[in-house]
Amino acid sequence: MTEQSPPPPRRTFHLNLNWLGVMPFALFVLLFLVMPTMKIVVGAFQRPDGSFTFANIAGLFTPSILSSYWISIKISVSSAAIGCLIGFLMAAAMVLGGLPRGLRSPLMTFSGVASNFAGVPLAFAFLATLGPLGLVTVFLRTEFGINLRAMGFNILSFWGLTITYLFFQIPLMILIVTPALDGLKREWREAASCLGATGAQYWRMVALPILFPTILGTFALLFANAFGAVATAIALTGSSLNIVPIMLFAQIRGDVLGDPHLGYAMAFGMILVTGLANVVYIVLRMRSERWLK
Amino acid sequence: MTFLTISRLEKSFGANRVVKDFNLEVEKGEFISLLGPSGCGKTTVLRMVAGFELPSAGRITIAGKDVSRLRPNHRNIGMVFQAYALFPNLTVAQNVGFGLKVKGAPAREIAARVAEMLALIGLPEMGERYPYQLSGGQQQRVALARALAPKPQVLLLDEPLSALDAKVRVSLRNEIRAIQRELGITTIFVTHDQEEALSMSDRIVVMHQGVADQVGTPFDIYNRPATRFVAGFVGTLNTLTAQVIDPASGHVRVGGSDLVLGRALPGGEVVLGLRPEMLRLGAEPGMASLTGTITELDFLGSVIRLRLDLGDQRLAVDLFNTTRATPPRVGDSVTLALDPADALVIGA
Amino acid sequence: MTRAASWAILLLGLTYFILPLLGMIEFSLSMRRGEYSFDAYVAVLGDPQFRQTFSYSVMMALLTIVFGMLLVVPTAFWVRLKLPHLRPVIEFITLLPLVIPAIVVVFGYIRLYNTSSWLPLTGSVLGTNLLLMFGYATLSLPYMYRAVDTGLRTIDVTTLTEAAQSLGAGWITILGRIILPNVLVAVLSGAFVTFAIVMGEFTMAALLNRPAFGPYLQLMGANKAYEPFALATIAFIITWACMGLIQLVTRFTKHDKAAR
Repeated sequence: MTEQSPPPPRRTFHLNLNWLGVMPFALFVLLFLVMPTMKIVVGAFQRPDGSFTFANIAGLFTPSILSSYWISIKISVSSAAIGCLIGFLMAAAMVLGGLPRGLRSPLMTFSGVASNFAGVPLAFAFLATLGPLGLVTVFLRTEFGINLRAMGFNILSFWGLTITYLFFQIPLMILIVTPALDGLKREWREAASCLGATGAQYWRMVALPILFPTILGTFALLFANAFGAVATAIALTGSSLNIVPIMLFAQIRGDVLGDPHLGYAMAFGMILVTGLANVVYIVLRMRSERWLK
Repeated sequence: MTFLTISRLEKSFGANRVVKDFNLEVEKGEFISLLGPSGCGKTTVLRMVAGFELPSAGRITIAGKDVSRLRPNHRNIGMVFQAYALFPNLTVAQNVGFGLKVKGAPAREIAARVAEMLALIGLPEMGERYPYQLSGGQQQRVALARALAPKPQVLLLDEPLSALDAKVRVSLRNEIRAIQRELGITTIFVTHDQEEALSMSDRIVVMHQGVADQVGTPFDIYNRPATRFVAGFVGTLNTLTAQVIDPASGHVRVGGSDLVLGRALPGGEVVLGLRPEMLRLGAEPGMASLTGTITELDFLGSVIRLRLDLGDQRLAVDLFNTTRATPPRVGDSVTLALDPADALVIGA
Repeated sequence: MTRAASWAILLLGLTYFILPLLGMIEFSLSMRRGEYSFDAYVAVLGDPQFRQTFSYSVMMALLTIVFGMLLVVPTAFWVRLKLPHLRPVIEFITLLPLVIPAIVVVFGYIRLYNTSSWLPLTGSVLGTNLLLMFGYATLSLPYMYRAVDTGLRTIDVTTLTEAAQSLGAGWITILGRIILPNVLVAVLSGAFVTFAIVMGEFTMAALLNRPAFGPYLQLMGANKAYEPFALATIAFIITWACMGLIQLVTRFTKHDKAAR
């Protein structure tokens, strides 16, 4: 508010009414999003009696918990990065590759389906395909004598999980980046080529910088998406793979860590990681977007 | 030898022939306009010169070199687009320097050239701004500077003024013409606006349905249109059907008035084209005359536009406004004088 | 990019997407030794637990959709009409569920609303169901809000509202008779996404111990050989149906508008 004489009472009254309009929403968000999250954050710094401590956070620094974070981050980064790359290539092929326009609508619908086809059923689909008795595994073994297992591939592993997550990561990228690719004006490309730029130079100096914020934002989203994915991981691996969401799930179910407040700390760690990923995104985006209003 | 030659150029999209047997020879430093309604193929011709479309047939040579199949980035052509097409992620200076940068010019050379170009377009202080911070007119001037910075052999302008306000349009068109003269750069300008084409060009190509109807100076195009389309598209033209009474002396009858054009005509019927501003009120000795009744009168300030009923045909007449004469009124029966030499015979 | 390269990328990508679906369907049909059959589907559909969990999840999905609409439509409308400067804030909040993992949120629920807390929702079945529905509403908030907000963008909220007010309509009438019909397509899109999310959701239902479809799927996966793949195929069909319906309503209204 600017410095003015106090507003007349009528205006204050109106202002209050306007705020009331979003009260149900605010209340809902407070009760079912903000407070539960805060409860975790605060709990991570509390002893069971409620006093302040760093002990829970310090408790995270055990080899097994640290390695679970490390594997989780690796899976999330790789599935987000590969998902962004492949999704980008597929969207670019669709938008800029001179393919029939009619392909587009079914592909976007399919992307909508696949990006929502996560969780337990997705795990089953991949078990049926790349599991020990899966379609592809058996086909490669009987037709080509390629034994995936002997080559060190296991669906219950880092790569197995990454490949599975790509099933919802790639379509999500396609859904988000397609409108951005549509936003690239044909004239930019033509102007660049008139000025002597090769296709690669156009992409490096014009198209990619323009798309960068979108790609970065999608990467952050895909990262969080993979980092918090519980159902697929549990259905796929049971508890054989030591990643954060699985550990936290087991902890909530049965306090496997033997310390309820260590669970808070683990959950807090998850918020911290996804939060950090988004802070990095926001900072990079602000730096890369000086040219936007 | 001509600098830019387009010969027998053809372009089809599927079964649709957009450009048919298009020929043009442009001298070095010449300013040529391609004028025509939308869909006449003028933009397609330009895009083939730029290299964005490959011709279905024909050749384009620049400075004696066949460029018909060359990629756009090897043609050394500058282009300005209707929608500015500045790179939004680059500053004005980076936009202008883009062409030199992709060629790998040293930074100092780029900076010097950018400063030179920004001075040329009168925006020397704007180098650090981003395109969104500029007005439309400023953006288009930057686009012009960007196109000119790498010293292209040919400058192509694709309706560069269409997206601008009327006022900016006029000032920018003078500016573009001045810069073009100063640099002596061969320029092809695509427009659907006859006023732009007439005021800026050394020569105009009027295009219609993929064909060049007429190539000529603005004066020729306006005063000696070669086809009925050119006559009708450039300027306002009254077309009147006339009965030829004596082919040898050019004696015709139009709506009850007799005119003697003083040149040989084919027999039967001809179509006469009369510019509204070629007619004057009142009878004059030595001039042909037409009579009719005023049905409409629009006072437009400097001009008074009349519509007349000539019996079986209608005629528009523009009179200059003067303070001396009392204006005619609707319903008046008037006589109009015209120089028979000004009447265009467009054929039957 | 050349056309050939584009085709290659697209076909490779599609292969990746189609193979798991093929594998899943193939397994679901392989219950009878040596030949394809629908035995697994018969077994699944005959399972009373399937019917219970499935109908539980359908109910929860419908309730979530109704609640989400009641929450989101008036809010998005009000923000557009009266508090436009709040829009970035609200948008940020609605995107939070994409960033905060669901498992963290539900962990918070369990700790915040347990039997010894000020609001002991988990103390009763009804309370837990309610809590789960709120959780689902939270998960679908980003999609629901975006859909509705996009729908509102295409109509002139202020003018419509003022016109209705000048004719004497109250807020309920304005929302129910004027705003809602105009953003119905958007709301339906949001609703179908919500339906797909709720039907497949596992984490929240499992940790709140509710008999939903997701945990049932996981349980079957751990105990049966072929039935899980039949279930996964059914889940896939549901997802596909939801997305197909979104396409359908969008296209339907487009034709509707063009015809006018």
